[in-house]
Amino acid sequence: MDGIHDLGGVEGFGPVPVKSGDASFSQIEEWEKRMWALARNGLASSITIDWFRHGIERMVPADYLSFAYFNKWCADYFMLMIDEGTITMEEVKRGHVENPGPPANAITLNDALKLNSKANRSFEIEALTQPAFIVGETVRTHRNVPSGHTRLPRYARDAGGTVIAHHGCHLLPDEGARGRHVGDHLYTVSFTAAELWGLEANPRDTVALDLWECYLVRA
Amino acid sequence: MATFDGEKAAALHRELHTHLPSDPAMRVKTLESLAIERGLVAPESIDAWIEAYSEHIGPKRGAKVVAHAWTDPNFRKRLLDNAADAIKDFDFQGSATGHLKAVENTDNQHNLVVCTLCSCYPFSILGMSPAWYKSAEYRARAVREPRKVLEEFGVILPEYVGVRVWDSTAELRYIVIPQRPAGTDGWDADRLATVVTRNSMIGTERDLTREPA
Repeated sequence: MDGIHDLGGVEGFGPVPVKSGDASFSQIEEWEKRMWALARNGLASSITIDWFRHGIERMVPADYLSFAYFNKWCADYFMLMIDEGTITMEEVKRGHVENPGPPANAITLNDALKLNSKANRSFEIEALTQPAFIVGETVRTHRNVPSGHTRLPRYARDAGGTVIAHHGCHLLPDEGARGRHVGDHLYTVSFTAAELWGLEANPRDTVALDLWECYLVRA
Repeated sequence: MATFDGEKAAALHRELHTHLPSDPAMRVKTLESLAIERGLVAPESIDAWIEAYSEHIGPKRGAKVVAHAWTDPNFRKRLLDNAADAIKDFDFQGSATGHLKAVENTDNQHNLVVCTLCSCYPFSILGMSPAWYKSAEYRARAVREPRKVLEEFGVILPEYVGVRVWDSTAELRYIVIPQRPAGTDGWDADRLATVVTRNSMIGTERDLTREPA
């Protein structure tokens, strides 16, 4: 979708907050730490990673630009949990649930470290088709994208590039955001900066994106 | 069960926008209370995860991996071939490293990592991403004017050095292997790891020195 989240190449932003934004995890605000930690516990059990991301993309656009990163997560989790029926809008307004459940089991630091190391999930699935493109081949991205979730950014649409890697079949986010488990061949495609940004770009510079086969046509 | 309905999501967001307090700390507190009362999370578990990411899962992991790549040619090759697998040597695998890819700086090429569409980051190997990485400024500008962005980080690239920006659009996550600083001959991997900065593994720093990170 042509959403507010699709920021690559948008002009008008000022300097990167190099100093103010450089804090490590132990130095960030307490609420930010708590939001990150809450999300490690699987608050919404029926979501996919792509629906989680699309949920953020569907935020009120002005909120998207003004909210700190973990405040967007917070808004998203409220939405996701209401959508799947884990909590209600009324409970959010009240700040308490109607019928409290049995308390969750507490985990220890060691449990958290073990759970983290098991979270190196693979998104590769068995390929049912042969890849359409090979490394070294030139390809072109589509101009139009669906209005749902997609991972082809606006700045890289209708652009010619070169396949520099093939990664097998990976789950397609466009379908994952609809709750469907569909694979497609994934490639890394390199674009010259001049192709994306015009002739003023440095001729030595390139931008590489990981793109699914259905985003591409043969050039 | 999630509806996966984008229009419904947008409508819920608009309603939440009206009802939620504006202070993010208050909002997260509300979410936490609801999650605890619903029996989804125990307060002790929140503390455990905060401790895990404050004390144990951070950029020192990435620094250790980079230092081993500098000192062990076989490990360097394995890391470049399949970083997701190579980091298991150190038990560093975890969140967002299932498809980790290592990319190496050379005399003629500099690598810079961004996620323009959200803020994807290899948490288990680099810890929490810095706020600037998640900022609209960095996400918008890193792909379009990487040299200007690098200048803001104090990196002035010579004309002959090409920049390759990696936009993390899929589940691949990137770690940059910076160049080993001069004057470190004979240093072992543990000592070398002390000079590897987080930013150098994202690509917003280039020339490491002998000074500890």
